[in-house]
Amino acid sequence: MIGMKRIHVIAALGMLSLAAVAARAHHAFATEFDAERPLELQGVVSRVEMINPHSWIHIDVTGDDGETSTWMIEGGSPNALYRRGITKESVPIGAELYVFGYQARDGGQRIVGRTITFADGSALFFSGTAIPDDAAE
Amino acid sequence: MKGSTILSIAMVAGLVAVGAHVHAQSDGTDIPRTASGRPDFQGHWSSATVTPFTRPRNLGDKEFFTEEEFAEYEAGRLVENETQPNTAGDAHYVLSDFGLHNSQNTRAATLRTSIITYPSDGQLPPTTPEADAIAAERRAYDQEHAYDSASNRPMTERCIMWGHNGAPMLPAGDNSNNQIVQSDDHFVFIQEMMQEPRIVPLTGLDPLTPAIQQWYGSSRGEWDGDTLVIETSNFTGLTNRNITPSGKVTERFSMIDYGTILYQFTVDDPNTWTDTWSGEYTLTRVEGPMFEYACHEGNYGLANILSGIRAEEAAGER
Repeated sequence: MIGMKRIHVIAALGMLSLAAVAARAHHAFATEFDAERPLELQGVVSRVEMINPHSWIHIDVTGDDGETSTWMIEGGSPNALYRRGITKESVPIGAELYVFGYQARDGGQRIVGRTITFADGSALFFSGTAIPDDAAE
Repeated sequence: MKGSTILSIAMVAGLVAVGAHVHAQSDGTDIPRTASGRPDFQGHWSSATVTPFTRPRNLGDKEFFTEEEFAEYEAGRLVENETQPNTAGDAHYVLSDFGLHNSQNTRAATLRTSIITYPSDGQLPPTTPEADAIAAERRAYDQEHAYDSASNRPMTERCIMWGHNGAPMLPAGDNSNNQIVQSDDHFVFIQEMMQEPRIVPLTGLDPLTPAIQQWYGSSRGEWDGDTLVIETSNFTGLTNRNITPSGKVTERFSMIDYGTILYQFTVDDPNTWTDTWSGEYTLTRVEGPMFEYACHEGNYGLANILSGIRAEEAAGER
């Protein structure tokens, strides 16, 4: 049984302990997504596109009004995921995801998947805090 | 947790290559060779590194870190930078979540403080007044027209070319993988992003006429002993590398051992820079295969960027 889905704008700042570096990417993210539109979504995977230059995960989100709509989540290049053993099957259709990101500048139902976790909080791909302590050794 | 386990394995593999000093030139006895006796460069190679392209200014003319200094420097580079929520810098996915952070890569082994080795300060030489004028003109045009159409967007967004695509070949921010295929009379270099093969004949073929200009230039190779030397010209002057049609790049590939290639290059373009500039880093052998990048196939981003701007224009926000 899937729990209630929600869409809401995040009011609180500083909810993330680990932030991303805006490193070299296929595009500058602020050209596609609006930093003033942070969103958190909870929904069910309906489609997975492991395509370059960015992977896209589609989730069906049910709002407080009971209406369901599909949102597209942009993620990183699938090349690195494949190289580390993550495939399309690692994101099963029907899985419930929690996504934090920023909405597209045109207001469409697309967000950058800044962090994506299963609804129970476990990491979808790699934990954002999983850089080992011995990384500098 | 499955994801964390996979990441940890990748990390262990990545750290093996880190920390060694710059290499002594091989005496040629311990490198793989082709049937015709040439060094065999074929395989997959990572150009990932924490070494910056230009030297941090505070290091002046210091060419190499000590191992202790390097450990401290690298530790700083392997931590994801903090950004502030609700800022442009924060509108980006967490790189390590997607296996894209440099801490997750097999990295080149060097204590150099910069990829640039000449000029001796590790910085690019000053640009010429002519190049400055062209750059200013482009900036002014972009200020008005950067979002007019897809053809006005940067070549990365258009899936044409990245700034690291050779010549010279430079490390990518992520997916910094390369494949080399070789025969007696040709080399092919493929960088995983954008995956445009660079085909280099070693047949004594005449250079292209200057009237023909190409994004990647036109390359010709020859052997200097065990070192592969490639000269590339016929650039467009339209990439963000700014090498003009009369510029020339000379690359040298020297196999240090089975797992290491020393890659050196010099850029000579008096139209853009007041001096030549040179650099070097090492390529580290990695397990293949490379994965198809196929950037055009899923390039939703380009349309999304333009639709965002059109929406803001329609709303009177631009």
